[in-house]
Amino acid sequence: MKLMKSFIALALIGMAAGANVPTRGIKIIANLEVDASEISRDELSRIFLMTKTSLPKASHVEPVLEKSGPVHDVFIREYMGRTEAALMTYYRSLVFTGKASIPKTFNSDPEVAEYVARTKGAIGYVSASASTPGVKTLTIK
Amino acid sequence: MSSRSFNICIKSALVVLVGAGTLVAQSTEFAIEGRPVQVHGFASQAFAASDGNNYLTMDTRTGTFSFTDFGGNISVQVTGKFRVGAQFYDHNIGQLGRWHPQLDWADGDYRFKDWLGIRAGKVKTVLGLYNDTQDMEFLHTWAILPQSVYPLDLRSSTIAHVGADFYGDIGLNQLGTFSYTAYAGFQPNDPYGGWVYGFKPYGINLTALDGRLEGGDLRWRTPVQGLLAGVSYMDEELHIKATILSAFSFNAVSNKDETSQFYIQYMRNRLTLNAEYRKNLLGLEKFIMDSRSLYGSASYRISKRFEVGTYYSRFYPNWQDNLSDPANHIYDKVATVRMDLTNHWDLKIEGHFMNGSAAGDALRGFYLRDNPQGLKPTTNLLVIRTGVEF
Repeated sequence: MKLMKSFIALALIGMAAGANVPTRGIKIIANLEVDASEISRDELSRIFLMTKTSLPKASHVEPVLEKSGPVHDVFIREYMGRTEAALMTYYRSLVFTGKASIPKTFNSDPEVAEYVARTKGAIGYVSASASTPGVKTLTIK
Repeated sequence: MSSRSFNICIKSALVVLVGAGTLVAQSTEFAIEGRPVQVHGFASQAFAASDGNNYLTMDTRTGTFSFTDFGGNISVQVTGKFRVGAQFYDHNIGQLGRWHPQLDWADGDYRFKDWLGIRAGKVKTVLGLYNDTQDMEFLHTWAILPQSVYPLDLRSSTIAHVGADFYGDIGLNQLGTFSYTAYAGFQPNDPYGGWVYGFKPYGINLTALDGRLEGGDLRWRTPVQGLLAGVSYMDEELHIKATILSAFSFNAVSNKDETSQFYIQYMRNRLTLNAEYRKNLLGLEKFIMDSRSLYGSASYRISKRFEVGTYYSRFYPNWQDNLSDPANHIYDKVATVRMDLTNHWDLKIEGHFMNGSAAGDALRGFYLRDNPQGLKPTTNLLVIRTGVEF
């Protein structure tokens, strides 16, 4: 009982610590062959957690991440609810148990956009103001 | 520890870490005929020292570096739905492992749909939060996972099976996501694990401890962000072969070996909370052992480079007996500091404050053959562990 009370108390502290987080503009981009114009937060989170490998009309989707930076920090906080360390731990747990490979990561918005443009099924995120020729922007529903 | 043993341990550790460090500098992804191939590896080295009792077959009362492990894997994404890969693992922890490398996993994995995939070969067993990742110290806050649920000396009892898994993820929008795994196969024998080591002083030479198993896991990523709950179940039929006093052979099949495990995890921003409870029923002839294990943990990432954590773990080898008897429990209070020196190199300093030795019925943690003066009721243990991965 004491353990359960402590667990609940710590959970409430964690939830309070997560409130009022500042946000910046990012946009979700996808390869032109991804047959979708919008995506839910849940679908987006599951794609980047590698538990969803396709969208209803897209045969296969591949998440693409940035290695670091403010856009990356906002994305993993807002859409995945994790820290950078927790996310990499999660990906490494998949790799070292044979369940998945680590997704492609790039250093900048242009590199992400270029890869998404040329890779069938790729979905990534960039700054809202980034130039992203050859890809489509998905609306978060 | 003798100076010769010390020198051997240091040389071993240096070879492992320099080798791993060299590998870290290399590219981990390349292509073969246009198919992406990834190579990853890890290595760790620890120092452990205790008062009270020697622990986990190590000579901890004099301090020991005999706590090393490493491994590596390669995987190929053959098509968008099909992957193949393999990983080897080697360890030397006290008298466990003894530098005998083993195939950790090797499988083919085909994902038909999000809700249905199949993985076949030697597959890591999903049991609770961390069974399949317990060897990868870099994935955890702790230098040693809660031994009540993830005993280092008995890892081979649950770590992997040769068989097949069906798995999948089912998203239910506002109700969250359910992930399932169902498996059947065969548990391989481990001649360098705790069971073999523990029985030997009694004149019992275990030559085989393996058998068929089946089980499953169901976990629910709830609509509350960061909250995960789940349950695992495993049923084994153990085949036991032994020679007794070098004269008699013994063969038996367990009539019951069931493990149920319940777990909950809350992960939000920098805070992670875990709690797990395991019940194991092991029956042989008319003898049944009902053991219970549980722990609660909390960890908090202070910064990019620092994380702190604590857990309280309890193990009872015989739930039907007097639980307050030190011979029938191991309680472990732990405090850890983890430093991520780089993105691929960590250092942990961890203190364990243990009460009990579970000497009455268990063959884990504290072995009479390592403590010939008798087991003391408390043990305090310091572990300093460093690891690299790429």
